[in-house]
Amino acid sequence: MPVKRILFLAPTLVSFFLILSYFWVPTFEDQARGDPVRLTRYISSSIGDASILNPTLSADSASSEVNDLVFDGLIDRDIDLSFRGRLAESWRIFEEAYLAVDESHRLPDGASVTAERLLAHLEVARRTGAPSLRLVERIEIEPPKTVTEKIEEEPEAKGKPARMTPVTLRRPARIKFTLAEVDQDFFKKLDPLLGGYIRRLDVSRFLDPSLPPGVKARAAELLSPVEHNPVIIFQLRKGVRFHDGHEFDSRDVKFTYETIMDPKNLSPRVPDFEPVKSVELPGPYRVRITYKHLFQPGFESWGMGILPEHLLNEGELRREALALGRDPEKFSVRDSNFNRMPIGTGLFRFGEWKTDQFIKLTRFEDYWEGPANFREYLIRIIPDLLTTEVTFYAGTSDGYAAQPHQVARLQNDRRFHAVSFLALGYTYIGYNMRRPIFQDARVRRALGMAINTDEIIRYILLGHGEKTTGPFPKQTDYYDPEVQPLPYDPGGAAKLLAEAGWKKNADGVLERNGKPLAFTIITNSGNEERNAIMVIAQNAWRRLGIQVQALTLEWAVFINQRIDKGDFDAVVLGWSMDLNADIYQIFHSSQTGHFQLNFVGYQNPKADDLIVRIRQEYNHDRQVAMARELHGLIARDQPYTFLYVRKSLSLMDAKVVRMVPGPDGRPQYLPFRLNKLGRIGFDFREWVKTPTPVLPPYRSELSQS
Amino acid sequence: MFPFLLKALWRKFWTLLFVSIVSFAVIHLAPGSPSQIDPLNPRFTPQQLERYRKAFGLDQPLYVQYGRFYKQFFSGELRSFKDNQPVLRKILERTVNSLPLFVVETILIWCFAFPLGIATAVKRNSLFDRSMTVLVFALISIPGFYLAYLAIIFVVQSFHVDVIGLRTFGREGVGAFSAMMDRTWHLVLPSVLGATAGIAVLSRYVRSQMLEVINADYVRSARSKGLSEDRVLYLHALRNGLLPFVTMLGLLIPALIGGSVIFETIFAWPGIGRLGYEAILSRDYPVIISINFLAAVLTLVGTLVSDLLYVLVDPRIRL
Repeated sequence: MPVKRILFLAPTLVSFFLILSYFWVPTFEDQARGDPVRLTRYISSSIGDASILNPTLSADSASSEVNDLVFDGLIDRDIDLSFRGRLAESWRIFEEAYLAVDESHRLPDGASVTAERLLAHLEVARRTGAPSLRLVERIEIEPPKTVTEKIEEEPEAKGKPARMTPVTLRRPARIKFTLAEVDQDFFKKLDPLLGGYIRRLDVSRFLDPSLPPGVKARAAELLSPVEHNPVIIFQLRKGVRFHDGHEFDSRDVKFTYETIMDPKNLSPRVPDFEPVKSVELPGPYRVRITYKHLFQPGFESWGMGILPEHLLNEGELRREALALGRDPEKFSVRDSNFNRMPIGTGLFRFGEWKTDQFIKLTRFEDYWEGPANFREYLIRIIPDLLTTEVTFYAGTSDGYAAQPHQVARLQNDRRFHAVSFLALGYTYIGYNMRRPIFQDARVRRALGMAINTDEIIRYILLGHGEKTTGPFPKQTDYYDPEVQPLPYDPGGAAKLLAEAGWKKNADGVLERNGKPLAFTIITNSGNEERNAIMVIAQNAWRRLGIQVQALTLEWAVFINQRIDKGDFDAVVLGWSMDLNADIYQIFHSSQTGHFQLNFVGYQNPKADDLIVRIRQEYNHDRQVAMARELHGLIARDQPYTFLYVRKSLSLMDAKVVRMVPGPDGRPQYLPFRLNKLGRIGFDFREWVKTPTPVLPPYRSELSQS
Repeated sequence: MFPFLLKALWRKFWTLLFVSIVSFAVIHLAPGSPSQIDPLNPRFTPQQLERYRKAFGLDQPLYVQYGRFYKQFFSGELRSFKDNQPVLRKILERTVNSLPLFVVETILIWCFAFPLGIATAVKRNSLFDRSMTVLVFALISIPGFYLAYLAIIFVVQSFHVDVIGLRTFGREGVGAFSAMMDRTWHLVLPSVLGATAGIAVLSRYVRSQMLEVINADYVRSARSKGLSEDRVLYLHALRNGLLPFVTMLGLLIPALIGGSVIFETIFAWPGIGRLGYEAILSRDYPVIISINFLAAVLTLVGTLVSDLLYVLVDPRIRL
């Protein structure tokens, strides 16, 4: 019966053929050990694929991993997180400050103010050694001028598009001071010397009353009677080449800045560069950057990878657009094919990108610091955590970001190094201080004292976390290690609540004036950690006699309907942070509106003042002192119960080590270092893979506990 | 025949229009916005977010966006929010990647489900039938991802070969035949796992269908004519029993663009299922809606094909 035979034969043959293919597949031993080329390749694995290989446009971590290797910035962070020159050899930061001349006022000697008199008065003071002018290098007059600016008019109603209005402003004559270093208190110190002249200055004197109301606020900002313009001068490294051989110079820096600021390119980096007033090029290896106002966190932005101007300038883009048959007027850097095959000055040059499979980079032989030891750098895209582990275990990848339980599994395996480092960010419980029950700091403190953070770290993070007490990254100097975490003390919490007027009623529920202490805690779905914390908190608070509901919401609903609108009681959330000390958006009282990030509504004038002063302070030590003061202040106020900082984990093949020339000229093998951020590739150039392990496996703990 | 075709096409055109409107509206009405417009990036001002919305055309009324979307879609100018690449090319690339998986999976399902279904029907209530029933229901109930993990760990630990991705990673410079066999090997696990549930379900259908015809009058007549049991079963009964499955051929067409999110993710397979899933997570509207629309087109084509196939194989049906 042929039908019967077919029914039997078909599955047999198909299975046979499929199984047969096994004999053509190399085993892991063939691949990992038998292949000398494998030792010249570093293979990492990533959960997600890159999206756009252009540092000015990318915002995701997978793209950043590639961009960090292909592009260099002017600066980056050294092992201790201080700044280190890359494409910039050195830099100098100073200040140009401006003081408006208002002729309706009088000087201390009774003479009416003119630019010349003001200048003469200041010069005399400077010659006699007035301390307030100690930092001043030069004083000169800036004649009055007319400036035309396009101002974004405030929209009449929410949701309406903002209009750009060209406005002509007449700026009075100003005295320009050149200061050796940035001093945010310069004018405050100068004022007594001028008999209160600066305090009395009023911007409305310079404003044209006929200006449309929508632009007035911005115009007042532009005509501010005093202005601080911090200036950075970068001295660039000479002889650095892009991967195509073209030499890097200051035009590339300016071009990168312009690419970010061009609205057509929709760069996510715009906010970092918005405060820049101008980028000038005094020479091919000098860049002069002037800021509109004091904004210390802006300095770090110059770690941004530098684009090659000669490949992306207007002419090149036009040519590319025409070749692709697209409209050259609408064609932007974002559309260019450059973003799929980038060229930078970095340690590795781009090789190949197979979407959702792998990205291949090959070493750049002409790298200014000398080429890397590895010939190739490959990033495999493996979206699943278990298969990532299997791949790593089989030796076909050299390192990956592991989960705590995966590290525990390989704890005693001599073939692997484990690296653990503190993440940049923390998890917290935030209290909506618009709600009457949370307005009392004692209540917030009591709620925090009821939660056993140690247990959360032990059981939810399997020990891979550290307590945190305030708003700054624990790795930085801004974090004050002296601030003590809230003790776990349910008894003390009950006492504090009693002090605040909450007494237990017959049912064991806390109440005040007949009203029970009841609220809802929310978090977003899909995050098991936060959900667990929410339930732990609910449980702990219930035991104190508080009626707590817990609710999980889908992310979009959670953010749009609840957080952005301030419609919540308590929330479990996390912040991921930058390395700077700027927490303006999160804790300043001006940021409590809808869709702003101080959604818990924290307000403290002292904190506001410190927050503003910190972002304006260019002296690291002074900045650290203020940040620590602010840390203590916020820890006392407890707008959040600060819970913990996660530790990120990486597993590495133990055959990957650092190779440096030893004193006798022979190669010396050392454990690799990561900077305090755990950034891989910090000294990647020195990394090498040896045929057999040359160092015992190690676990580097880089936390600062 | 022709009037039927014309009428069917006309009706399907309206269905498609309706689907395109609904799917467009649903995606846009769902909460959340493209990840590029991230509301929690601390330094973004509302004006800058507005600029993004404008560049993506999200500031316009929905019907304008709808028109613009399909104009760009049909002119091939539609680009992904994520990486600015043309959407149709992305979908095509991924479909090509998913295709071998889909083909092998289908071959496996059909090769195994029919013999299994027929055998269990012929030997119904035997020990074989009953143990198969248990096995089949077990396969239907065990989550696919769990089986996949077990299978990966088993194969990797016992055979020491790579099982994920399209091919063995980093293997270059081998002959075309070796490369082909390597690719075939990488198809084995994901397609077998993808096929298990399919085999289980389909074999149950085949079994019940066969049971129905085996008890039919004409089968009894065939037996009473003195035909051999094999002839009765595999010639007379099977033909009618398998009629409904012919229509399934048509319904395979939309599965071309379905892909399997779970297996593609676990096996790091750069297929269409993963593309769609990741697009949904980052609210990459152009990709989501395009896949949706193409799936609708293929579904409609599929139903048309299965209608036509039915006419072809069943002489009792006339159009």
